[in-house]
Amino acid sequence: MSEPKGGSGRHGLVRGPQSLAAGLGLLALGVFAVWAGGDLPQGTLGAMGPGLMPRWLGIGVATCGVALLAAAFVKDGDPIPPVAWRGLFVVVLAIIAFAVTIRPVGIGSFMTPGLGLIVAGPLAIMIGGYASPEARFGELVILALLLTAGCMLLFGDLLNLPIPIFPTVVIEAVSGSISTRLLLRIAVGVLIILGLGLIALRRGANRRRPVDVATHSLTT
Amino acid sequence: MTDLLANLGLGFSVALTFQNLGLCFLGCLVGTLIGVLPGVGPIATIAMLLPITFGLDPVGALIMLAGIYYGAQYGGSTTAILVNIPGEATSVITTLDGHQMARQGRAGIALGIAAMGSFFAGTVATLLIAALGAPLTGLAMIFGPAEYFALMVMGLVFAVVLARGSVLKAVAMILVGILLASVGTDLETGQERMTFGLNFLADGVDFSVLAMGLFGVAEILRNLDQTETREVVRQQIGRLLPGRAELKQAAPSVLRGTAIGSILGILPGNGAVLGPFASYAIEKRLAKDPSRFGHGAIEGVAGPESANNAGSQTSFIPLLTLGIPPNAVMALMVGAMTIHGIIPGPGVMTKNPNLFWGMIASMWIGNLMLLIINLPLVGLWVRLLKVPYRLMFPAILMFCSIGIYSINSLPTDVMFIAFFGVVGYALIKLGFEPAPLLLGFVLGRLMEEYLRRSLTLSRGDPMVFFERPVTAVLLLISVAMLALALTPKLRKSRDEVFTEA
Repeated sequence: MSEPKGGSGRHGLVRGPQSLAAGLGLLALGVFAVWAGGDLPQGTLGAMGPGLMPRWLGIGVATCGVALLAAAFVKDGDPIPPVAWRGLFVVVLAIIAFAVTIRPVGIGSFMTPGLGLIVAGPLAIMIGGYASPEARFGELVILALLLTAGCMLLFGDLLNLPIPIFPTVVIEAVSGSISTRLLLRIAVGVLIILGLGLIALRRGANRRRPVDVATHSLTT
Repeated sequence: MTDLLANLGLGFSVALTFQNLGLCFLGCLVGTLIGVLPGVGPIATIAMLLPITFGLDPVGALIMLAGIYYGAQYGGSTTAILVNIPGEATSVITTLDGHQMARQGRAGIALGIAAMGSFFAGTVATLLIAALGAPLTGLAMIFGPAEYFALMVMGLVFAVVLARGSVLKAVAMILVGILLASVGTDLETGQERMTFGLNFLADGVDFSVLAMGLFGVAEILRNLDQTETREVVRQQIGRLLPGRAELKQAAPSVLRGTAIGSILGILPGNGAVLGPFASYAIEKRLAKDPSRFGHGAIEGVAGPESANNAGSQTSFIPLLTLGIPPNAVMALMVGAMTIHGIIPGPGVMTKNPNLFWGMIASMWIGNLMLLIINLPLVGLWVRLLKVPYRLMFPAILMFCSIGIYSINSLPTDVMFIAFFGVVGYALIKLGFEPAPLLLGFVLGRLMEEYLRRSLTLSRGDPMVFFERPVTAVLLLISVAMLALALTPKLRKSRDEVFTEA
C-alpha cells in the first residue's frame, strides 16, 4: 500500500498502534507458554508427551504476535481506544472486596473476618456503583439494601446454595437460640423495610422541595 | 417418519411435565428480559445462571438455559425497534427498518411481525433439528478420533472465517484458548502442566470463571466506557397484528429469512450471526423498490428477524449431534452439560433420548410461549428500558460474584473473574473478539485427546489425516476456507455483509 507519508496524520515508524500492542502481547504470551512448558517431556508423535501441545501452541501464538507486529509497521491500523481507568479499577476493587469478605481468607498471616453475604453484597454494590461517573449515593444505598435482601432470599433460602449469609461472629453468638433460616428471613425483612423506607423518605423529601424535582427529572 | 413422530412424542411428554414447562417459561422470561436490556447478553446471563442449575435435573436445566438463549433473540428485537439500539448483537439489522416503522407509528406492527416471523422460523428450525438429528448422529457414530479431530479443526476454522474483524487475530484467539485449556493436570500422564505449583490451577482453568470474566465482567467494563443515550419511542405502539396487505408483503421475506438462517445456523463457526445480515442484503436486492429500505420497510424486519431466530435454533444441531459448539453460547451449553455429567456428542441421542428430544420439543413450546408472553408484555419491557445502566451493572456484578462463589466456595474463583474481566477488556481494546477464545478453550482438551489418540493408533504417522477420505475432505475444506478468507476480495465482501446498511 503506497500511503503518502504522514497522510493519515500519524508520525514515526508505528502505523498501527493497536496491532503493535496486540502483537507484543501475543508474542509475550507465546514465549511465556514455551518457557512455562519447557520442563515437560515432549514425547514423540506416536506417543505425545504432555509438553508437545503447549509448546507448539506457544509457538503458534508467538507467530501470530510477530505477524501482527510486522503489520503494525507496514500497514496503517487503528489507534488504541481510550481506556476507562476509573471503571476498571473500581470494578476490580468491588469484586476483590466481595471475595475477601464473603468468608475468612488468609492473606499471608493476616486473616480477613468472614462477614457473609449480608456485608459482602452491599459492600460490592456500594464500591462497584462508583465505577460509573453518574453514581449517586442515595440510589446505591437503596439498591444495595433491596438487592442483598433479594439475593439472600433467592440464593440462601430458596436455592439453598452453600454461601455464608451472616458474619461468623453472629452465627456463633446466636447458635442454638435461633435457627439460621429464621434469622435469614428476619434479616431479609429488615433490609426490605429499610430499603422501602428510604425510597419513601426520598419521595417525601422531593415533594417538599419542588425545585429538586425539576432538576431530578432533568437528569434522569 | 413414524420414528420421528414417536421421538417427538417422547420429547413432548418430557417437555410438558409441570416442572419443565415452568423452567421453560422461566428461561424464556429471563431471556426476553436480558434481550430487552442492552448491555446484558445471553452469554453473561447463562454463565451467571450455570451454578444455579446445579440443583436441577439436567433436562430441566438445559431446557431453561436454551430458553434464555432464544428468548434473548426475541427480546433483542423489541429494544431494536423501540429504542434504536440493538438489545442483542444479532438485532443490529432490525434497528434499520424496525425503528423507522416505530417512528411512523407502526411500532406495534413491527413488533408483531418480528414475533410472528420468529415463531414461524422457530417452528421450522425445530422440525429441522428433529429431522437432521438422527442421520447426523448416525454419521458421527462411525467417526474415529482422526475424523473428530478434523471436524473440530473445521469448526474452529469456520469460527475464524465467520468472525468479524481480522482473521489473524481470530486465529490467535483460538490458539490462546486451546493453550489455556492445556493448563492443569495432563489427562494421560497425570503430570501438571503450567500450573507453577499453584493448587487452584491443578484442575485447569475453570470454565465458568473464564466465561463469566470474559463476557460478564468485561462487558460491564466496556459498557462503562460509553455514556448511554436511550431514546424510547414516545409514540403510541399501536395495533400489534399486521393487516392482510402487510402479511402478504412480509410472508415471502419470512420464508427466505428462515431458509437462510437455518442453513447458516447449522454451519460450524458462528454462522447464525451472519443470518440477519445476509437476509437483509438479499431482501434489499430482491425488492422492487430498494429505496424503501431504511425507511420502514416491513420486509427489512420480517426477513432478518426470522433468519435470526432460525439460526439461533439450528446452531443447536452441531452441538447435539456432533458435540461441537458453533458459538460461545453453545460452548456454555457444553459447560452446562459436562457439569451435569453429560458428554455432548452423538452419544446424547442414544444415551439420553429424554434430554435430546425433550429439549427439542421444549424449543417449540418456548417459541409459542414467547409469542404469547411477548406481545402483551411490551409495555412492561418499555418500562424496564428506563432502568439506567448505573443501577444495572452493580446488580450484575453482585450476581456474578455470588454465582461464581457458590460453585466451589472459593474466594480465589471470585478474584479470577476480576482477572479475566480485565483480560477480556484488554482484548476488546486491542481489537480481539473473546468468543473464539472460549470456543478454543472448550474444544481444546478434546482436540488434544483426539489428536493424541489418532497419532498413537497410526504409530506417529501424521499421514493418517490425509489417507482417510473423511478427514482429508474436512481438512481440505478447512484449508480452502482459510485461504479464501485471506484473499482480499472475499474479505472485502465479508466486511460488506457486516456493514450492510
